[in-house]
This record gives sequence, structure tokens and C-alpha cells, in this order.
Amino acid sequence: MTALHAEWTKLRTVPGPGWLLLAAIMLTAAVGALAANAVTCPAGGCQIDPAKVSLTGIYVGQTIVAILATAAVSGEYSTGMIRLTLTATPRRWLVLAAKTAVVGTATLATGAVAVLASVLVGRLLLDQHGIDPAHGYQALSLADGTVLRAAAGSALYLALIALLGLGVATAVRDSAVSIGVVLGLLYLFPIIASVVGDADWKRHLDQISPMTAGMYIQATTDLRSLPLAPWQGLGVLAAWAAGALLAGGLLLYLRDA
Amino acid sequence: MEATIEVTGLRKRFGTVLALDGMTFTVIAGQVTGFVGPNGAGKSTTMRIILGLDAADAGTALIGGQPYASVRHPLSCLGSLLDAGALQPSRSARNHLLWLAHSQGLGAKRVDEVLELVGLGAAARRKAGGYSLGMRQRLGIAAALLGDPPVLMFDEPFNGMDPEGIVWMRGFLRSLAAQGRAVLVSSHLMSELEDGADHLVVVGHGLVIADASVAELIAAASADRVTVRTSARDQAMTALARAGAEVAAIGPDVLTISGLSSERIVALLSGNAISFAEVSPHRASLEEAYMELTRDAVEFRAGAAS
Amino acid sequence: MSVTAPYRSGRAVGTSGFRHLLRAEWTKFQTVRGWVIGILVGLLLMVGLGVLTTKNSACGVPPTQTNPSGACPAPPTGPGGEWVTDAFYFVRQPLGASGSITVRVTSLTGLYATHAGSAVPGEIPTADLTPGVQPWAKAGIIIKASTTAGSAYAAMMVTGDHGVRMQWNFTNDVAGLAGKVSAASPRWLRLTRTGDVIRGYDSADGAHWTLVGTATLAGLPSLSQAGLFAASPGYSANSTSFGGSSSKGGPALATGLFDQVSRQGAWPAGSSGQWTGQDIQGPADNALQPAAQGYREAAGTFTVSGSGDIAPAGGSAGAVTSQTLVGTFAGLIAVVVIGVMFMTTEYRRGLIRTTFAASPRRGRVLAAKAVVLAAVTFTAGLVATAITVPLGEHLLHENGYPIYPTSALTDARIVVGTAGLLAVCAVLALAVGTLLRRSAGAVTVVIVGIVLPYLLAILSGVLPAAAEEWLVRVTPAAAFAIQQSIPAYPQVDAAYTPGTGYFPLAPWAGFAVLCAWAAAALALAVFVLPRRDV
Repeated sequence: MTALHAEWTKLRTVPGPGWLLLAAIMLTAAVGALAANAVTCPAGGCQIDPAKVSLTGIYVGQTIVAILATAAVSGEYSTGMIRLTLTATPRRWLVLAAKTAVVGTATLATGAVAVLASVLVGRLLLDQHGIDPAHGYQALSLADGTVLRAAAGSALYLALIALLGLGVATAVRDSAVSIGVVLGLLYLFPIIASVVGDADWKRHLDQISPMTAGMYIQATTDLRSLPLAPWQGLGVLAAWAAGALLAGGLLLYLRDA
Repeated sequence: MEATIEVTGLRKRFGTVLALDGMTFTVIAGQVTGFVGPNGAGKSTTMRIILGLDAADAGTALIGGQPYASVRHPLSCLGSLLDAGALQPSRSARNHLLWLAHSQGLGAKRVDEVLELVGLGAAARRKAGGYSLGMRQRLGIAAALLGDPPVLMFDEPFNGMDPEGIVWMRGFLRSLAAQGRAVLVSSHLMSELEDGADHLVVVGHGLVIADASVAELIAAASADRVTVRTSARDQAMTALARAGAEVAAIGPDVLTISGLSSERIVALLSGNAISFAEVSPHRASLEEAYMELTRDAVEFRAGAAS
Repeated sequence: MSVTAPYRSGRAVGTSGFRHLLRAEWTKFQTVRGWVIGILVGLLLMVGLGVLTTKNSACGVPPTQTNPSGACPAPPTGPGGEWVTDAFYFVRQPLGASGSITVRVTSLTGLYATHAGSAVPGEIPTADLTPGVQPWAKAGIIIKASTTAGSAYAAMMVTGDHGVRMQWNFTNDVAGLAGKVSAASPRWLRLTRTGDVIRGYDSADGAHWTLVGTATLAGLPSLSQAGLFAASPGYSANSTSFGGSSSKGGPALATGLFDQVSRQGAWPAGSSGQWTGQDIQGPADNALQPAAQGYREAAGTFTVSGSGDIAPAGGSAGAVTSQTLVGTFAGLIAVVVIGVMFMTTEYRRGLIRTTFAASPRRGRVLAAKAVVLAAVTFTAGLVATAITVPLGEHLLHENGYPIYPTSALTDARIVVGTAGLLAVCAVLALAVGTLLRRSAGAVTVVIVGIVLPYLLAILSGVLPAAAEEWLVRVTPAAAFAIQQSIPAYPQVDAAYTPGTGYFPLAPWAGFAVLCAWAAAALALAVFVLPRRDV
């Protein structure tokens, strides 16, 4: 409990995280707006997923959230403050658990705001671009179960990305290398999947990729063509985050500070 | 809880370097214990092991009979300063102590108290990145005092302090010890500890070389030497050497003699009509004592400037 | 009391110069074990990922008696060596070394399917087909060296949306009269052969003829085939569904109505020669079964229906060289991390003060770092690509995957260009690291600027096509065009997106975009660096 309080104080008494979270919200909404604005409905009918389009900004928001999460750990190592932290709380798993709780909650809250903003802006813009009842679409609304799932799931997605970054940074300790590893994990799977010729391999790669599978949570149309169900996809990302935290925690426990 | 640090048989190897080779000593309450040794003797490593930051290959380190990791409120048991620079530059000093306090269940009131104690009350809300070296040391001491612990441990707290700061620090440490706390201070500069410490643990090559009070160490180093001040230095040297003494000239008119008692020296000098200004038992400085003890333990000896 | 003489060093003064700065920075780089290991890791990842993906690419054709290894058939190649689709319905007669054929086309209609066909590809009942002409549906006259798929030809045709065109040898395409053909506005087409040279003419009224183009088909045999033809590439819809890169589409049929067919010159079969109808089948993945194609003749009016296309084939028929270099992205991340750290670690430890005290001209220090970094990453990248491309192609070949034939020059461009891409990215990272001084932020900015646009472009269903194209033109990701192994042709409608290996900018133009970004960042850093406190 006290470890939680300490980690929360650490997070809120430095200007960096606040600005980063604000930037995450604004960029997520802005990119979602840009995507919604660029939608054109050909004569044959729109074939887009309105919720997914308005939530496109998550692709950018996740990088900001990843920076924040990795910095929460690597910053302590680069300044040497980690020793002070471990002196104050010798039980190391407690330190990692407290950081996880604080960073996870902060990003979840931020994600919720970002997602709300995106859906609102997306609803307005898409309506002007032909996604309206006249074309057979309902206006984007959180009252709709699937849209709510996509939105809430996207906020959860951001929090899980943060936890993934936290785990990697605890294992790797250097800020540049850890963000490189996180971005690599997120970006490389879909790129390789696009090139692999074998359809089976491509499917498997998509199923284990943290970003691709995690983003299935946003799909509201054409769900049958997905390799995984939306919540299963998010579960894959959760597994990655858990694995990273486990690895990081183990290394934290075994290594000299 | 007993105010003691008990270190027994610590062994630690970093790769090919054997940092600690059976380190054993005890720090008791009511006195300032100096932890001295050349660079690389294993002082910082020992302190990190006491705090559970590094894991020892063998041996134990107990505070008040318990290992650090199993203490409920660690900072209320042992307060420490390892690295004054371990700060987030963009965080204010007050907030730095605040998160530490929160981790122990303490509040802002205590933070302000310790800041006043070390004299940083006015500068508390400035960013820690802008602090001078001395201010950072004071901040580190404040952090150690947050939990009002009976045991305190400081790693080279005098580093970077100006003379005024050193005087303040010495007096402060003494007052802490006088309150009944156990205080362990590491340093490799004797002049800082000369008037500051009561007991010394001298280490070298990962081992304890000497574990005694300052008075005993100085006496041992002084041995039975006698200081003689005379203007007829060469004549005195010849006369005393002929009598079988070991004579060393440590100044243009100062000699150190061992092997003869003061009375015998007076008699010899007077008998040879050599005038002298002073004959007194030699009091070695702590620095001398230390140099003697650690002469073989020094790892890095610089060559004379070429 | 003695006076001490002022100290004079007996040593020789070292020389300073850019050469020595370079040496200093090289020493700095090679003595950090972590960075050297990082470069090697990037190199291994490039080779490893390339091998992994090519090893697991199988063509997926079930083994048969004639094809026991299950290798995919390599598409036919045209006279220029490129892969081609050569499938159409040909109503032909033999033609000698000189002669001409003239027709009037009065209509071009079509049918298409919105799906590929169930059990037998291309076998779709007519009732399931929708009326509609594809933009590049073709009907017209053609002179072809033989009925072998991929043989030389020249053709005059009307198309669905692009007016009259003359095309020859698959890659050449010239526009003629614009506008759709109909009974009210018919088009007259004429092809004249003189030896190796074929000229195409069109007319709107049958009286006034315009020369549209002249084709020289080297080595055209004296006995060729000439006549009417019809073909239609398949229908595809821009689908933004999530599941993958499959696009919705199906085969299509084009039907042309010809009359006033007249022939002059050396037609061996004579004026009463019999027309032979034949379905030319250079395998096309979106052609209707032969049953739907054919021709009818009634009182001098021919109705010819054909499916397929006479055009260069895209990379979807096999693999392209750039696929072996999928590991570039991993190498890129490694190189960016090291590039950023090369500068930011100096700030972290205060080493930067020592560096600038030893070399006060800060711009030169930055330049020296950039040169060392570029040299190291270029060399490592070159080694990686030089190993990966041949190895990957060999593995694809083993798996029976046909690879688009690229010229040696193209291969060299891909190999050297990728190494150059890595080097310039490293320098960009160094500059951004100098400007931002925060390592995680710099790494993210650079990777997001280079990799994210490419990623968004290949992930179907995320961005609209216009946004994708803009991103891949303007951001540093444009440099991946240097890896493009297969050209895009305007006369073929295909998914020309980075996901299928096509980039909007020409290879070196895309690379120049990246260089511009790096140069701008470097210039800014050189400007800012001396003006800062350190």
C-alpha cells in the first residue's frame, strides 16, 4: 500500500508523464479525426468499419504510452534512483507490482478519455462523409454493444501496451534499447506477416502478434474473417504483457541492483 | 530494536574481481564508526549488501539482528545515503523526499521537518537538478533521517563539501551518535574523520585490517616514538644513531626517534651538548596510522610525476 | 630559495584535423561492446528474418504427377523478359510478312463476377454475373507472332474506360481516340504489318485515319497470326475489411461487336480463309472458364467474348526480391537505437563536456560521428543484404516459388540501396538524438517516422488509399521504394500499394526523400549544437 503511494507520488511530481498523457489523448483523437475525414463512400456503398476508423489514433497513442511506461523504469536506472527505491521497499516484487498498478491505471484512464474523444469526433466527421442512416449505418454511439466493446477494449489496449513496456524496461533497463525492443515487438510481426507467402503461416503470425491481435478488439464488422475473436486478440496482448512483466520481475529479483 | 549493524564473513565476487573476502565487523550505538580503506577495498559493496541491493556470495549482514529485507519499515530501522546524485533532476527536492516518505507511510510534515534539520528548508521547492554538490549531500542526509532510524549509514558523505559544510557535517554526525544512534560513516580521507569518528574499521582487499577506537589506533601508530626539535639536526642524528636508535628526519629541524625512551634521549643530547627545543612523545596523525596499516592494501599506487 | 623554471613539455604536439576526429569517434564506437554487439544483432536479424520468411513460403500447389514438388508454375515471360499475363480469346487467321486488317467496333460490353468461383475457379453460371465493363477491358485487332503465351504482338483496341489504345509487347501502351465506343460513336481500327514493323491507326468516321503508334517487333516471324480478340481483366473492389490482404473480386468477360472486317496484303489463306477461334491461356488468375468465351459470326458481324488480359503480370504470380529483405525493419530498429545512443549517452554521463573540451568545433564532432556511423552501418547492411538476397532467392526457388526476374542492375540497386537506407537512417537518428538529447524520445520519433507509415500502408483496412499514398511519399518511409523489385504499369489496374511491393515514388526519388529528412535534421543539429550550453 505504501509502495503504491510512493509510486503514485513519483509519477505525479515530475512534469514529463503529465504532458505525455495529454499528448497521447490529443494525438489519438487528432489521428482518428484525420482518418474519419479521409473516408470516401464510393457509389457501391461504403465498406468501412466506422468504429475502427475513428479509433485509428490508437496506433499513435500507443507509442506515447510506451515511452511513458519504459521511462518509468529506465529513468530510475539511469539516475541511480533505483537503489533508493529498493532501499525504501526491499521487497522487489512489491516495487514492480506498485509501478504496474500506478502506470496501468494512469494509462487506462488516459485511454478512456482518448477513446471517448475519438469516438465523439469520429461520429461527427463520419456523419458528414456518408456514414449515416441513409447509407444503412447507424451513427457511432457507445450505446451500441459492439462499439462499446471496441472503445473500452481500445482503452484497455493502451494500458496493456504500457504494461508490456514496463516489463521490457525492467528487463532491459536502458531507455533507448527498451523502447526499441517494444517498437520492434509491435511493428515487426505485421510486417513479416505481410511478406510470408504461406497463408497458414500468415494466420499464425497474426494470431501471436501483440499489436495485430490486440487491435482485433476494435473490429465491429466482418468479424468472421478475423483469425481470432476480438477478446481473444486482446488476450494475446495481455499474455505478452504478462510475460514481459514476469521476465522483468525475475531479472529484477535475481540481479544486483 | 537494537541499534547495531552486524556483518559476518561477507564474500562477494564481481566477475574476476574478489571484492569482499570475509568481511566481519560490528557497529554499535552511541558512537560514530568510521569505515575507512583505500579505493576498491570493498566499502561501498559492503554497504550495498547490508541494504540488500547486492546479494553476497556468502556471509550475513544484520541490522538489529534482522536482515534488511525482512524489516517491516526499512527506513525507520536503517537510514542510508549511498549516492547523493541519485535524483530525478526535474523533480523538486521536497517531492523527492515526499515519495520516499510515502513509501514508509509518512507524510509531508515529516518531510518538512527533516528539510529544516539539514538546512534546506528555503531551497526545498527548487528542482533537484539545480542543486550544488553540497546541497545534494544534505538532501541525501535528510532522506536518511526521514524514518528517524536508530541506525544510520553514510557512504562518503563529505564528498564535495566545502570546509564549512565539513565542520557542520562532523558536528551533526556527533550529535546523532550522542542521541544513542549507531552511525557508520565511510570515507577514504582521514582528515575528515580525525575529529569526527570514535571508532574505526579499517579495511583493505575486502578484509578488515583493524577494528579499534581512534585513540588505540593512533597510539599504536605512534608506537614509542619521540619527537625531537633541535637546530643542530645532524649532530643530534649522529649522536642518537650511535646510541642505537632509529632516527628519521621529518623536517628541517624535527626528528622522530624510536628505540630510546624520552629520558635517555634528553640525557644523550645534554651529554653531547646538543641544544634542543622539544622532546615529546610522538602523536601520529590518523593519516599516518592509516597509511601504515593500509600500505600493503593499496591497489592503485600512482608513480611519481615524471 | 630557487626560482622554478616554467614547465615546458618535452613531448611533440599532436596534430588536429578532421582525420583525427574521425579516428577518435571510430575508437569511441568500437570500444563500446554493447554497440558492436547491437550492430551484429541487427545484421543477424536481417539475415535470419529473411531466411525464416523465405523458408516458410510455399507456393501451396498440391503436388501432381507432372509437378511432384508442388512448385508454382512460373508465369510466361514476354519479349522483354518480364512476367506477363497472356490470356484472351483470339479469332485468327495466318498473316504473312506484310498485310493489314481493318475493323469497325460498335460496342464493348461486359459481365463480371463478384467472387472467384466455388469449386472450379472461373466456372461461374452466367446468372451470377453482373453487367458492367472493366476499365481495362479490351476488344480489337491483334497481330501476334504465334499463339504461344508471351509471344510478341501488337494490337489496336477499344477499352472500357481509356478509349482507343495501341499496345505492343505487353509493356508499351499509347493512347488513341478518347471516349467510349457505342453504336452511335463507333471506332475504326487498323493494323498494318511491313516485315518487323507494325503500325496502328484509328478513325472516328472510317475515312480520316490517324497513326497512333509504330511498333518494331524484332524477329517477328514471316508467318504470324492476326485477327480479332477480346479480353477483360478481373473485377476487384477496394475492400477495407480487416481480415487480411485478400481483395474481393472475380473474373470478368468482355464482348466486342465487330463489323466491316477487311483484310489486305499477304494473307496465306486468302480472302475466303476460315477464321479459327482459340482461347489463349497464359494462366490468368481471374479468367472465366473457356466455356464462357467464344465468338459468333453472322453476316459479317463478329461477336467475340474473351476473358483474361494481355498485359504485364504483377508480383502476385510469385515472389519478388524485396520480400527477402523483410528483415530490413529489424536491422533498422537496431541501427536507429545505436545511432541515437552514440550521441545521447555522452550527454547522460557528462562525457560530452570532455568531448567538446577536446574538440571545440562542435559541428565537426557531429560530422565525424555521422561519418563513422554511416560507414559502419553501411558496411554491416551491405554484408547483410549481400547474404540475404541470394540466400532468400535460393530458398524460394527450393520451395518452388517463382521469383520475378530482375536485372542485375536492379538487384544491385536493391542491395546497395538497402545498405544506404540503413546508413542514412542511422545518421538521421544521430541528428534527432542530438536535437532532443533524450534517447527514448529520439528513438521513437525516428522509428515512428520511418516504420509506422510503411506499416499503416501495408495493414489493410486501417487507412484510406489516398492517405496511405501521401504518407509513403512524404515521410522518410518513402525510401523503401529503393527496394521495389517490380515496376508498376499504368495500363494494368492492380493493387499498387506498398503491401504488394509497389511504391508511389521512383526508387531513387524515394531514397532522396529520406536523405532530405536526414540532411535537414543534421543541418539543424549543426546549427543548434554550438549555441547550446553543454
